[in-house]
Amino acid sequence: MDYMAAFAISGSGMSVEKLRLDVTALNIANVHSTRGPEGTGYEPLQVISGARQAQLFRSVFAAESLRLAGGAEVLEVRTVGVAPRLVYEPNHPDADAAGFVAYPGINPVNEMVTLLAAMRAYEANVAAFNAAKTMALKALELGGNG
Amino acid sequence: MNIDTSTLLPAVAGTRLTPTADAGAGAGAGALGFAQWLERSLAETNTRLIAADQQVQRLALGETDNLHHVMIALEEAKLSFQLMVQVRNKLLEAYQDILRMQV
Amino acid sequence: MFGIDSVVSFVTLALDAAALRQQAIANNIANVGSAGYVPLRVNFEEQLAFARGDLTGAAVPAGARPFIETDAAGATAVMLDVEMVKLAQNAVHYQSLLKALDKHLSIMSAAVNEGRR
Repeated sequence: MDYMAAFAISGSGMSVEKLRLDVTALNIANVHSTRGPEGTGYEPLQVISGARQAQLFRSVFAAESLRLAGGAEVLEVRTVGVAPRLVYEPNHPDADAAGFVAYPGINPVNEMVTLLAAMRAYEANVAAFNAAKTMALKALELGGNG
Repeated sequence: MNIDTSTLLPAVAGTRLTPTADAGAGAGAGALGFAQWLERSLAETNTRLIAADQQVQRLALGETDNLHHVMIALEEAKLSFQLMVQVRNKLLEAYQDILRMQV
Repeated sequence: MFGIDSVVSFVTLALDAAALRQQAIANNIANVGSAGYVPLRVNFEEQLAFARGDLTGAAVPAGARPFIETDAAGATAVMLDVEMVKLAQNAVHYQSLLKALDKHLSIMSAAVNEGRR
């Protein structure tokens, strides 16, 4: 076990879930945003993640040493492409000609579910990281005090 | 998981010195067997120490793939060396005993 | 001398398998949100003769080596709770192998040093 490689795998998982968490928090924060930086409405985003190609490396020095290079990576952060929610508010400064304000089509329930799932996955990656660390430290104790 | 320990025990038995072919034939034949064993053991201890050194070097360079391999190699080298030291001590003791013998 | 201590080499192989398993589980956990990802597992215990009920065979077949394969059970998604259980199990297994090896080596050490450490 290349203990660095084990950390890298869990670290990549943590990065992906952290980004997913951040993007979901961004969506939730903008649930009532009617104006974006360019003047148009806010487009809800989602994170598409995929697996890095998992490869098994055999050490050049020791034939029996195997190291797995893999983990997860963010493929893209793209707009969800959902239609905006139209709410009738004729007195709102961003209301269109018919008096409707276009709010981002974010479903708060979906976003909360995504948030909780990302948190759980993040914690799971932290647990995997800690397990790898504990195993490596225990291996150093072989031989006792001699 | 059930481990069949009966097949694992021979490893302990293997650490005993195997007697030479004609143990009772006198000091000459016995000494030749022991000398060969000693030579082989010294060579093996040397090999283990070198291997342990290499493992530590790779660890320092960050090229190690298995921490437990490094620790096991170090531990085996240490035990091998300790055994050699003890054999040396016993041989010296035996030699001194012989010197002390009254003719 | 010790020669090739079969206990040490067997336990080392089991340690290798557990270390590889840790990486496979970490990879599964990292990819819990990846679409189309097939979970990985390590094949090792199945290769051992006594696991197949063949008690008369050697403890470790000559070519037994741990290797990574995709989960044959046909799982198409990572089940996080299952992976967490496997993670904990594997970590304890690895540490217990280390402890057993440590004890074995300290018995050898006691034999060599006549009871002194």
